[in-house]
Amino acid sequence: MPDGSRSAEISSSYGADASPVRYKGVSKRYPGADTDAVHDLNLEIPAGEICVLVGPSGCGKTTAMRMVNRTVEMTAGDITIGDRSVKEGDAAILRREIGYVIQQIGLFPHRTIAENIATVPKLLNWDQARVDERVTKLLDLIGLDPEFADRYPSQLSGGQQQRIGVARALAVDPPVMLMDEPFGAIDPISRGRLQNEFLRLQAELKKTVLFVTHDVDEAIKMGDRIAVMKKGGEVAQYATPTELLMEPADEFVEDFVGADRALKRLALMRVRDVDLWNAPTTEAGQPSDPVVQALKTSEVPHAVLIDGENRPLGWLSLRDLEAERVPTEPDSTGVPTIDADTTLRDGLATLLANGSLYGTVVDGRGRLTGVLSVEIISDFLASKEAAEVAIPALARPHDD
Amino acid sequence: MIDFVKIASVNDEFFRDRSDGGCIQDNNLFCPNWVVDNFDRYVDPTLEHLVLVLAAVGIGFAIAFSLAILAHRRRWLASPFLAATGVLYTIPSISFFFLLLPLTGRGTTTAIIALTAFTLQIIFRNVITGLRNVPTEVTDAARGVGFTPRQLLWRVEIPLAMPEIIAGLRIATVSTVALATLAVFANGGGLGAQIIVGSNLTFKTGIIVAGSIAVIMAILFDALILLAGRLLTPWKRAAAL
Repeated sequence: MPDGSRSAEISSSYGADASPVRYKGVSKRYPGADTDAVHDLNLEIPAGEICVLVGPSGCGKTTAMRMVNRTVEMTAGDITIGDRSVKEGDAAILRREIGYVIQQIGLFPHRTIAENIATVPKLLNWDQARVDERVTKLLDLIGLDPEFADRYPSQLSGGQQQRIGVARALAVDPPVMLMDEPFGAIDPISRGRLQNEFLRLQAELKKTVLFVTHDVDEAIKMGDRIAVMKKGGEVAQYATPTELLMEPADEFVEDFVGADRALKRLALMRVRDVDLWNAPTTEAGQPSDPVVQALKTSEVPHAVLIDGENRPLGWLSLRDLEAERVPTEPDSTGVPTIDADTTLRDGLATLLANGSLYGTVVDGRGRLTGVLSVEIISDFLASKEAAEVAIPALARPHDD
Repeated sequence: MIDFVKIASVNDEFFRDRSDGGCIQDNNLFCPNWVVDNFDRYVDPTLEHLVLVLAAVGIGFAIAFSLAILAHRRRWLASPFLAATGVLYTIPSISFFFLLLPLTGRGTTTAIIALTAFTLQIIFRNVITGLRNVPTEVTDAARGVGFTPRQLLWRVEIPLAMPEIIAGLRIATVSTVALATLAVFANGGGLGAQIIVGSNLTFKTGIIVAGSIAVIMAILFDALILLAGRLLTPWKRAAAL
């Protein structure tokens, strides 16, 4: 009996390492359609990476994803998980080893949160003790209080419900996850939080994830690799986010990622990841002359007034330094201070909002680490270096 | 076709039974003493009535539920099933009794067949509506995490259709309690016999007692099914909290 052998094989693969997913010449044509929804798709998603399928509506991205767990059956080609074709054996049994998260969440309204999370373990006939243990662990993993276990989905907010949706998909620790616009129906604030939470989870779990979205920004944020799809179900470009933004393969991709793609690249780097400038620093009451001398060779034409803890208080112009001693009141206070952990994009936004060419950069304790200038950012955008560094999604900055 | 001879003979007993003198003779609206003296005569008809209702709703549910599940799998079956049960629903019960006469004769079987036919439409319609109202994202998620079609039906779709199924069962049961009073025309027993006896005599107390028993039976059935429904759908109460 083929099903039996398959389920035996699979049960040993639960909790195993992530598997690569390969599309080999996969096509899908829906009955009665004149053209393919997905046409001759060839993709290789390395184990443990997030691959985002992105594109306008009707480009076949959801169809492409759904063929992996056969909720849509392909009409040509093959998809393998590890070295096994998804076509082997029974679809229901295949699906139990593939996490599945959808935009509309689809929790079972008649089952408690604990029962929802336990869905797949129950289908696999785990004993109750093991199920309970797993549910407790997953609630902890997604940061929900154990008291939620006995509630029903309708008693939870949308964001909480989708956390449960993710927990349900992770219940048997599947090597592959399919996520179809998982955060698309969540309000923007919760969406950002859920994205970050998922990236943190992924850092730990290292699943092979196929993630569908129509939102380029989400694709850039979540993807280790991005497949941009266009109408007709073909991949226009398959690349890392940086490559995509630096070297769009064609006009379609260029249009799709947007005219602001340079700015989007800034979201891929943190302020502390670039070489910051140094400005002369001094404390109030110190002699002015050494500072004035230092300013002559400095990259920044102003000095930074700091307190005893190396925290910036404001900028000192040459006029401030005309006196013999450094004044206690700087020329300009309240000039932008930028956290080293923010993205370059947010750093630039801060500079622009303040109408300033320079901003002091501080670490988590508020101590000066350097100066960010508009010039640094424009140099960064012009540099080839940024294009060559593929920054994995997990290592990338994610503003909370 | 009603056995007036038989009814008349029963009526003779009524004429002879004048234990309550004035009230009966004046045919007042309600004669409590007569009820106390004649309570026994309602026990068997009540039990018969109960059997008629339980049999009709039970068999009707089994048939309509199976048809609904079949029509849920094969969508094109829904319309013909709906039309067929609709025809059965609209045939007046009394005509149905007479139509069945050549086939099943007079008696409880005929009454149960006609009453069952009447429940099909109500139950079928509610079950199919309940199954169709299950949100598509829930069935999509269920398939996607690996439910087989059978598991999907029994563990997800039917439990979620339960409120509509229960609602259908309530309507079907209450209307069958009322309709079963007509079973007397098929010689099927039940409380109807007591009402007919009364109306032939224009004896108001008899009508009121038999009618009241039917009403109380309907209310009890309704409450019982409602309670069962509550127990079967705990998530509905949680949502209201």
